[in-house]
Amino acid sequence: MTNYLIRRLIWSVAVVVGVSVVVFIVTHAIGDPVRLMLPLEATQEEYLEKRHAWGFDRPLYVQFADFAFKAVQGDFGDSLWQKTPALELVIERLPASFLLSFVAIFIAIAGSIPLGILAALRPRSLLDRLCVMGSLLGVCIPVFWLGMMLILAFAVELGWFYTSGYGTWRHLALPAITLAALPMGRITQIVRSSMLDELHRQYMMTARAKGLTEGYIIVRHALKNAAIPIVTLAAWELTRMLAGYTIVVEKVFAWPGFGLLAMQAIERHDLPLIQADVFVVALIVVVLNIAIDFIYAALDPRVRFE
Amino acid sequence: MKKFPALTILTLLVLVGVVACGPTPAPTAAPTKAPAPPTETPTAAPAPPTEAPTATPVPAGPAGKVVIAIGGDPSTLDPQYADDGNERAVNDNIYEMLLFRDPKTMEIGPGLAESWKQVDPTTWEFKLRQGVKFHNGEPFNAEAVVFSVKRIIDPAFKSEQLSFVATLKDAKAVDDYTVQVITDGPDPILPARLTWMKIVPPKYTTENAKDFPNNPVGTGPYKFVEWKKGDHVTLVANEEYWGGAPKIKDVIIRPIPEEATRLAALKAGEVDLVRGLIPEYVQDVPKSAYIPGLEFPWIRINANKGKLADVRVRQALNYAVDKEALAQSLYLGYAIPADGQILTKGHFGYNPNVKAYPYDPEKAKALLKEAGAEGLTLELIGESGRWLKDKELIEAVAGQLTEVGVNVQVKIVEWSAWLDLLFAGAAKAPDLQFSSHDNVLLDADRTLSALFHSKGSQAAYSNPEVDKLVDEARTETDVKKREEMYHKVVQIVHDEAACIFLLNLDDVYGLSKRLEWTPRLDGRILVKEMTLTE
Repeated sequence: MTNYLIRRLIWSVAVVVGVSVVVFIVTHAIGDPVRLMLPLEATQEEYLEKRHAWGFDRPLYVQFADFAFKAVQGDFGDSLWQKTPALELVIERLPASFLLSFVAIFIAIAGSIPLGILAALRPRSLLDRLCVMGSLLGVCIPVFWLGMMLILAFAVELGWFYTSGYGTWRHLALPAITLAALPMGRITQIVRSSMLDELHRQYMMTARAKGLTEGYIIVRHALKNAAIPIVTLAAWELTRMLAGYTIVVEKVFAWPGFGLLAMQAIERHDLPLIQADVFVVALIVVVLNIAIDFIYAALDPRVRFE
Repeated sequence: MKKFPALTILTLLVLVGVVACGPTPAPTAAPTKAPAPPTETPTAAPAPPTEAPTATPVPAGPAGKVVIAIGGDPSTLDPQYADDGNERAVNDNIYEMLLFRDPKTMEIGPGLAESWKQVDPTTWEFKLRQGVKFHNGEPFNAEAVVFSVKRIIDPAFKSEQLSFVATLKDAKAVDDYTVQVITDGPDPILPARLTWMKIVPPKYTTENAKDFPNNPVGTGPYKFVEWKKGDHVTLVANEEYWGGAPKIKDVIIRPIPEEATRLAALKAGEVDLVRGLIPEYVQDVPKSAYIPGLEFPWIRINANKGKLADVRVRQALNYAVDKEALAQSLYLGYAIPADGQILTKGHFGYNPNVKAYPYDPEKAKALLKEAGAEGLTLELIGESGRWLKDKELIEAVAGQLTEVGVNVQVKIVEWSAWLDLLFAGAAKAPDLQFSSHDNVLLDADRTLSALFHSKGSQAAYSNPEVDKLVDEARTETDVKKREEMYHKVVQIVHDEAACIFLLNLDDVYGLSKRLEWTPRLDGRILVKEMTLTE
């Protein structure tokens, strides 16, 4: 167990470092961001001066050494756009993205498990077909479009929620539902198919023979055994959200999370901010993955850490 | 929007699936249905607090709240650092300059300075307004002006606004309320530059150097309250404002990056003002306002290259473009053909005698034939998404050029590649490159020296006479003479068809029903010029 953890940690550090290096190289290869920051009418002298001030006139390996040396100490430099330490900016935005993602994944799970079970209990029934169709729709609908439609219907026409912004549950509702649509579709499908598998196993018959109630059997036996693929998928969906799937939703709803920040950083070619953002995302993904491993172990006694 | 009912039904169907089993706040939770516009804080009525009952109409203090949507978070709230429209939308209400422009005529008038005069070619003297205080109580005086000038031009400060104040060299206090500003050569547009440079409080700025960019303190009609990054900036009326307290009490400025969402927020009553409205949306918003703006889409011609060195070819390109049709069809009339120059009537140096090249495809063909340039192939570099309908405009112009027999190959490139080409210098400049120019200093120098002076950063045209006139005009302090020089340059650039002149776009704003406001030519959003009707 301890061994496993140590190995996992070493591997995680390697992943985070690797991702940071790749991003450094890719972003610097695209070109320097100085022109992007200055007015179009700025003179060549101003440009060169600014370029020098930001150190973009140094050879790439010097820039990299500088970056690596400081990054190790947690310093990604100041954001070129926001003029303040990049890592702080990203961290400031974490709560909003976490809130949105966790609420969305909660909606998705809470919605898809009952739906998937109901569908699996009555395969080919009308309910089953509706669930399959609905989940397909959830998977296929472009997030941007769904978000806009929800805004038009529930914020502009009905006035139940806010179109955009951050603060209360009336701000949170629409972006969370929008973000939940796709994972909910996927999870419903997986719940349905793994439940179908489990419901036909022999232990179900045994349980029924023991005289247990149907509800108890489904939840305590079937669902528990079907849980591993469901948890895997749900965790993967959550990881995906935090790794960038929130970007579109955050933009549509002006939600001040770090996805929106990342998008604006990319638009402005703000290299320090992009690097800080990628670093944080890599860290989140790595930590989530370790957490998922532990959840597996808790769910399935056969899983062992070696 | 017309498809709306059908789409709503579809959405509702989807939602039934999505929401049905979810523990989401059930829609029924909100008891009152429609009308109550969800204003951020549920303060029900904008009743003036307590002081109401007294019968006589005491001059009511500032009241009400206005919410302004901008396209993105301000980059900083340091008023002297960034070149950023989102920062200006906030700081234009907090900070002030020595000189202001009239909201209608754009004429330069007194601001924090009551009067000014030129002492010698490089020295300007300003008499400052007395009794003005910064929001933290610090007095506004000569020291503040000297400090502000020195701060913005300090090379170590690395301001992105340097190109706006490039000629400033120094400032010194004559007495408490008299300041001399010194330029590094005669600079006739110094007053214009000073309508740009914001004055900061010396003591506060020095003592809070690290915190200053997040906690602005100015002399203006609004005081800073808070900046929740990515979500909103809050301002409140400065009741001790030297120009009289503004009428609106609270100001919320919200970055909403998605255009469609800004529009939705306006329609839902969450927002009172949206700028940069797409013409198609005008009929959709509660109220709209527009003003001829400063934005001039144009196409740079590399006039040093092959057939393009022939003035007849360049003129032909101008005759071939139907500006009027572009303004009507693409911008639904919220644009006008540029007057054969990249300046508005509000710019110093605008030449009223120069008119747009008329649309005359026959003449274009004839000129091309005369120049032996039939079947000419030209590359047109453009970008997409930076300016309103830029890609559509590029393609429409290319289509019109093709109709007179010029074989135009449009290449839309990514923004940084586009920048590299724009600044590549005349030797490497592509045949044609689409760009857009806005000169916020409202003086011809910035436009002409950047675009048409052979040493200009974006120039791909060279003409010794233009160079000479632009250079001389930059230091000519006789206003009349200087204006004549610009008239001459504008005339030459037009006759020589140094570029393809296209359009001058309107600034279109979406307003809530309750907001009364006339937009300004310089695009500044000044809440002190607004009133609320309810």
